[in-house]
Amino acid sequence: MADPLHQFQIQKIVELPTVEVAGIPIDLSITNSVMAMIIGTGAVILFFLFATARTAIIPGRMQVMAEGLFGLIDDLAESIIGDEGRHFFPFIFTLFLFILSLNLVGMTTYFTATSQLAVTAALAVLTIGAVIVVGFARNGLGFFKLFVPSGVPWWILPLIVVIEIVSFLMRPITLSLRLFGNMVGGHIVMKVFAGFVVALAGLGIGGVVGAVLPLLSVVALTALEFLVAYLQAFVFAVLTCVYLNDVVNLGHH
Amino acid sequence: MSAANDTLAMSPAAEPSDTAPVTTVATLDPVATAPADAHADTHESTEHAGGEAHAKGLPQFQTEHWAGQIVWLVIIFTILYIAIAKMFAPKLRGVISTRGSTISEDLANARAIRDEAEAQAKMSAEETAAAHAAARKLASDAKAKAAAESAKVQAEEDAKLNALIEDAETSIRASRDKAMAYVEDIATETASVLVEKLTGKAATKTALKAALSKA
Repeated sequence: MADPLHQFQIQKIVELPTVEVAGIPIDLSITNSVMAMIIGTGAVILFFLFATARTAIIPGRMQVMAEGLFGLIDDLAESIIGDEGRHFFPFIFTLFLFILSLNLVGMTTYFTATSQLAVTAALAVLTIGAVIVVGFARNGLGFFKLFVPSGVPWWILPLIVVIEIVSFLMRPITLSLRLFGNMVGGHIVMKVFAGFVVALAGLGIGGVVGAVLPLLSVVALTALEFLVAYLQAFVFAVLTCVYLNDVVNLGHH
Repeated sequence: MSAANDTLAMSPAAEPSDTAPVTTVATLDPVATAPADAHADTHESTEHAGGEAHAKGLPQFQTEHWAGQIVWLVIIFTILYIAIAKMFAPKLRGVISTRGSTISEDLANARAIRDEAEAQAKMSAEETAAAHAAARKLASDAKAKAAAESAKVQAEEDAKLNALIEDAETSIRASRDKAMAYVEDIATETASVLVEKLTGKAATKTALKAALSKA
């Protein structure tokens, strides 16, 4: 049976020199992971270029799809953050489309960039970084009020503050591991079941009959994985909105 | 892409410069590559270590690939962000808000037109009612006038006719009185003639008169 982890192996497509920055070697080669990002992002940009090429009051099919995605995230940002959600919409929309496109590229049997911890961790750090920057820009040092919830008796404050700080620090970790785990797990399971099909079918007539069950499982799992691909992108966008809301409306809760 | 499909036949140790992609092949047949991996470990730089490391667990934990991925991710993410923030989002927001304002404008126009139509309908109904009332008044006026006129004419005619009747009755009464006067004369004459014929001699006027008044 093929190694189910092989699909996550980084491979180089275009060899580029390694640059050393502050003692850290950065291999700038275009790998299959980078290629998946280029394909996904390129598809998103092409789609929106076509969809918004001739915008009309009465939209075409492409425009309806683009407006559907736009409205989905716009409503989300507005419902969670409020009127100021509009300022952060481009960032949230970019995150959503980036993750969704990478997940969907992964579903086409090409490389799944969102199954790389480096990618999900970078996205999580980017998000939390944006939250921290927005928090300081909006509230200055009042940002630290985030860790001191109001209406708490003074004698449990030390405990609460510690818990709040730890929970804040956990955010990038949970953000990155949630996406990473979902994509890795789903793709391993699919690969394992697909491996069963091949292995059983190789055993002869009885094996072919036995291979029907894992084949049906793979079909069902593929549908499930498409759902997960969308859902994880959406969850990432929702959590980004929630975290941004914490710092944007810091004084209002 | 084709480089990734290099066969295992190329030994990483023999041709180190070309065999970076050999990492891909290692996992296809773990048993066969195990010795190759072990061999390569001693010769290859960390750049080529990806393939060998898979045996230790998830390939995602090969940190030598992290920096490159993160740098590329930031570049690609930034490109997408700029494209969305500067082009797509404003364009879509523009067309959506334009549609919203167009729809509300059209609705307002339609409402205004409907109100106007209703006002006009009300006005015309009022005009019709007024015309009806005027017509009714005119008709009743005309009827009253006609009735008064005809009553007046009738009264005049009546008076005229009554006068005529009165005249006629008066003349009739006069004729009758006259005729009655003649009747006495005729009777006297007839009686005198009858008496003369019967008796042969004329009766006196006074006798006749007395006889007639007796009768």
